[in-house]
Amino acid sequence: MAALSEEVLLVVKKVRQKKQDGTLYLMAERIAWGPEGKDRFTVSHLYADTRCQKISPDGKSKIQLQLVLHTGESTTFHFSNDSSALKDRDAAKELLQQLLPKFKKKANKELEEKNRMLQEDPVLFQLYKDLVVSQVISADEFWANRLGDTNHADPSSSNNKQEVGISGAFLADIRPQTDGCNGLRYNLTADIIESIFRTYPTVKEKYCENVPHNLTEKEFWTRFFQSHYFHRDRINTGTQDIFSECAKQDEKGLKSMVVQGVKNPLVDLLMLEDKTLDEGYGIYATLPSTSNSNRSVKESSNSAIIKRFNHHSAMVLAAGAGKRETPADQASETSSTDGNSRDSDFFQPAVKKVKLKEAIEYEDLQRENRPKTVALNLKKLDRYAHGPVPLQSQQYTTSQDIINSVNYIQHEMVNYKPNLTQVLSSTTASSAIAALSSGGVLMQAATQQAINQMIPSEVQGELKHLYAAAGELLRHFWSCFPVNTPFMEEKVTKMKSNLERFQMTKLCPFQEKIQRQYLSTNLTGHLEQMLQTAYSKFHIWQTRRMLRKT
Amino acid sequence: MKINIEGLLVYFPYDYIYPEQYSYMLALKRTLDAKGHGVLEMPSGTGKTISLLSLIVAYQKVFPLEVTKLIYCSRTVPEIEKVVEELRKLMEYYSKETGEVNNFLALALSSRKNLCIHPEVSALRFGKEVDGKCHTLTASYIRAQQHSDPDLPVCRFYEDFDAVGRQVPLPPGVYNLDDLKDFGKRKGWCPYYLARYSLMHANIVVYSYHYLLDPKIADLVSKELTKKSVVVFDEAHNIDNVCIDSMSVNISRRTLDRCQTNVETLQNTIQQIKETDATKLKMEYSRLVEGLKEANIARETDVYLSNPVLPDEILKEAVPGSIRTAEHFVGFLKRFLEYLKSRLRVHHVVQESTPQFLKDIFDKVCIDRKPLRFCAERLRSLLRTLEIADIADFSAVTLISNFATLVSTYSQGFTIIIEPFEDRTPTIANPVLYFSCMDPSIAIKPVFQRFQSVIITSGTLSPLDIYPRILDFRPVTMASFTMTLARTCLCPLIVGRGNDQVALSSKFETREDFAVIRNYGSLLQDMSAIVPDGIVAFFTSYMYMENIVASWYEQGILENIQRNKLIFIETPDAAETSMALEKYQEACENGRGAILLSVARGKVSEGIDFVHHFGRAVIMFGVPYVYTQSRILKARLEYLRDQFQIRENDFLTFDAMRHAAQCVGRVIRGKTDYGIMIFADKRYARADKRGKLPRWIQEHISDSSLNLTVDEAVQLSKHFLRQMAQPFRQEDQLGLSLLTLEQLESEEMLKKISQIAHQS
Repeated sequence: MAALSEEVLLVVKKVRQKKQDGTLYLMAERIAWGPEGKDRFTVSHLYADTRCQKISPDGKSKIQLQLVLHTGESTTFHFSNDSSALKDRDAAKELLQQLLPKFKKKANKELEEKNRMLQEDPVLFQLYKDLVVSQVISADEFWANRLGDTNHADPSSSNNKQEVGISGAFLADIRPQTDGCNGLRYNLTADIIESIFRTYPTVKEKYCENVPHNLTEKEFWTRFFQSHYFHRDRINTGTQDIFSECAKQDEKGLKSMVVQGVKNPLVDLLMLEDKTLDEGYGIYATLPSTSNSNRSVKESSNSAIIKRFNHHSAMVLAAGAGKRETPADQASETSSTDGNSRDSDFFQPAVKKVKLKEAIEYEDLQRENRPKTVALNLKKLDRYAHGPVPLQSQQYTTSQDIINSVNYIQHEMVNYKPNLTQVLSSTTASSAIAALSSGGVLMQAATQQAINQMIPSEVQGELKHLYAAAGELLRHFWSCFPVNTPFMEEKVTKMKSNLERFQMTKLCPFQEKIQRQYLSTNLTGHLEQMLQTAYSKFHIWQTRRMLRKT
Repeated sequence: MKINIEGLLVYFPYDYIYPEQYSYMLALKRTLDAKGHGVLEMPSGTGKTISLLSLIVAYQKVFPLEVTKLIYCSRTVPEIEKVVEELRKLMEYYSKETGEVNNFLALALSSRKNLCIHPEVSALRFGKEVDGKCHTLTASYIRAQQHSDPDLPVCRFYEDFDAVGRQVPLPPGVYNLDDLKDFGKRKGWCPYYLARYSLMHANIVVYSYHYLLDPKIADLVSKELTKKSVVVFDEAHNIDNVCIDSMSVNISRRTLDRCQTNVETLQNTIQQIKETDATKLKMEYSRLVEGLKEANIARETDVYLSNPVLPDEILKEAVPGSIRTAEHFVGFLKRFLEYLKSRLRVHHVVQESTPQFLKDIFDKVCIDRKPLRFCAERLRSLLRTLEIADIADFSAVTLISNFATLVSTYSQGFTIIIEPFEDRTPTIANPVLYFSCMDPSIAIKPVFQRFQSVIITSGTLSPLDIYPRILDFRPVTMASFTMTLARTCLCPLIVGRGNDQVALSSKFETREDFAVIRNYGSLLQDMSAIVPDGIVAFFTSYMYMENIVASWYEQGILENIQRNKLIFIETPDAAETSMALEKYQEACENGRGAILLSVARGKVSEGIDFVHHFGRAVIMFGVPYVYTQSRILKARLEYLRDQFQIRENDFLTFDAMRHAAQCVGRVIRGKTDYGIMIFADKRYARADKRGKLPRWIQEHISDSSLNLTVDEAVQLSKHFLRQMAQPFRQEDQLGLSLLTLEQLESEEMLKKISQIAHQS
């Protein structure tokens, strides 16, 4: 066999692929299939390249397993062993299920990152298409430079992607469905589990403690949904429930949050009243007593629901706010250091000052302090966008200057007297007029402006892409200088050939196309010039190297 | 800008002014000129406070002999601090414009809890503990003992203040609570007593209602304030309840048990002192014979021992002979206590007037009216003589003696109700004696009599005429101002039906109706889908909210709402609710959006503003009637009918509507703010309810929005929100709802402004 050195984890015979019988091999790092009677694999996929596996529904006659790759391709295996097809398939599935996630994480991260970059940056995507898909340079080369670059240049943008919060209703999304025989089915997805863990860290703790030593994952979640913890309105404190501890801890967390008090003094209801009436005074002092003894079961379950909603919302909010201040942390902090109250005392006045200032502000009564500006009112937006570009840098004139000069000219015109001794001859005059009318020598600049109207937009687009691609390649090329390592030497030579290839495969066809369309203007001149500069640099470098060698 | 208000130059610290502010100042000026009282309603967020302050300060500067002091009373601590900050702004503007150094002294006063800087005492959480601890360190006899025994702990801040603090008055300036604390820390003086001492010569005092209305405190703190003061009660829509609360007492069996131990302690202490230091008791006795009240020097620290009766009601007589000696007094207390115990042993509800009670007590245990009246005064003297440090323990016996004094002083306006059990739990015996004040005018009467001008103002005082009636005074001005708006930034909608045409109402008969609850749920759910950021929903009572939340939970409505916004719910626990509130604001800030379910008459509805994105919509589920089955309320309604000719239903509706208006008014806090106000009850459509809403809300309720279905309300809200999302600039307001000085002075505008005030 081709890869004897590899560890083969599972061999399944009688597996058909593309209507051909063969054998499926599951190895440590890849899955492979070889047709019967041949000793090479016609199909081989690394696990890292595999996005997921799909299986045919139970009832179906054909028992199949499909692998979907990251590239979007898929391969279907048909288990055709009559007696044990289902078993074979399940065995393969189970094994894959264990293997895939291991590779997934590694591969995914990089792939996702690349994917994200391409999606976020259309220019890069175009470049990728131009260079990699058309095989000017390899994908690895493309990324080697890219990824390194971005990581160094701007680590915050790639790493500190804003974390996604949790939907407030994630528990509501787990709609129980009756399965027809007096049971309930909850559909859990990885997202929901993640949400539960992030919102209720205590559940995660329990999960880590119990799964898989004591319970299977399924059992764990079954118990979770059966627990009083999930159905907060049920008041039964069964001690054998593994979640009763969670509830207690949540309660503790909530209490510590409450004890900590609030930072904003304007919402602190405890501080609201200046002077509460002493016990025994006032008419509302003895409203329905809140002692637990005479509250009915229903009432206390109601108040449990209310508590739960407050807690749930607070936890969702905390989970969304990132990991820096989970309530559990806060709790431990308060218990360990008692100086906390002093601490809050210390910065309270500042918060209070700001809040008070905000509260008494009447923004509309105040005149805005910044100088009065006139809002820009555009009648035609595109005229603003590609408006006339000043051909030569010149000093701007204020409107007053213009008015003055107009006045001046008017004044001049009134007093104008032709100086007949110094007029031009008629021939010079007519040639001057010709030169100044459109198409004339002096009006070249005016026609140049129309270049974007002369050239069809697809050509313009293509040109843009060419520019981008050429720029990218040239960037690679120039980044090799000064060439001081053998690796660089190799790279620079390769880059030069890349450039040549680019000129051959991309630039030349484009030039031909332009000629075919009879577009007179030399659009690619600048591109060629850039390439020539690079070539000449390369030649100079090469000749120098030759000299040094000899 | 500087404005001329009928000949008075008013410095106004802004570049622009709202027309209604001008109008408000005009009405205020006329009230001050007439030296009378006024009732002024102006919507929240139209700069009421700054208008008040600007005008009154200007008045004080121009007529320093006419008005010497401004006493500004507000409800909550944050409100007090806000007022002081606005005042600071005004004063800074004054000194900037005139170039003179400010010579005004303005300060805030709050309880010890907010002012104490003693490291141990201020670390305590509750006001009561702080007060008690402070007392153990500063009481006059403790300090006297400390002279002989230097190891006894005293508060060094108070000692320093007492030693030097009184000689130099507080330098002029504006002192907020934190400024006082800073000043106190720098000088090493107690800020609380410094503030209380400085009240006397301050030009402006900002504190809470209790310092004027609660006789137990007013007697100590506000007694010597000058007659020529202007008193302002801001946020005064609940002032009658504050008055009533401060005069009412209720006594449960637990109180009596604690009182019993108190009395025993008293007795033991007397016994001890008699053995060791009999002269002390003798001296006290002779003092009481002479009838002199203690020299007042030492009294300021003895907060707990104040008289519950209003200052002018206290007799200028000597304590009667029967309770002069300490033992006799303790015996007297014991008898009184036994009598109360026997009264609490009843098995049926008793309701009687104070004369009936007095007659009964005379018949049963031969206690006369006169010694009862001196009970509080006598106990005060005794506690001081016995040098009891931890006065907080004696709150029960203080309560009883206060009750004795009150019940024997007022023959009218009070009722006594003894309930052997709570109505909801008739099997559990929990007897309570309610001594409840029914006439708010009793507590506020001395204020009206004493000060030349009292201004009652709030965002919601409608209908205006009811306040002078229940508080029993004659105002010279009564006016309600509307909010001039360049764009209609509030959208009141009355939702009377569900999409299935079920009438929506929180009335008792349909309270448990599933269809109503479901429709309320779908209203909230639909609104949560279209309203950005925060939504606040108010229920009529906590019980009602609990039930609705539970059944929404069962029906899965809450889960659907959670898809749109996070849900936070008010609980009876203030600390928990504060946390929920803060999280609610956080969720609004970070764009997730949240819903706060809350209760009308609760703390949230009274004290928390939901500005801008913290409240884009408010939903009032039901009409927040007070619990009408309570006997105290019934007695009060009866009293109102007999004394003030106010029909029960009128008062109940008035009370419900002022709370509803308070709730929905929470979301509009200014002209740049906007919000939807949904009244989800078909009863709001009736003229008698609608007519009691403040004018600034009423005039935006169109006839077409009186009986909407949920869907229609959602459509209207969508439209409204889309309009409000358009940019709104200052220029849009100028000339309409915002005026420059020139615009203000034009004839035409002045004419327009005169129409803003709605004189009633």
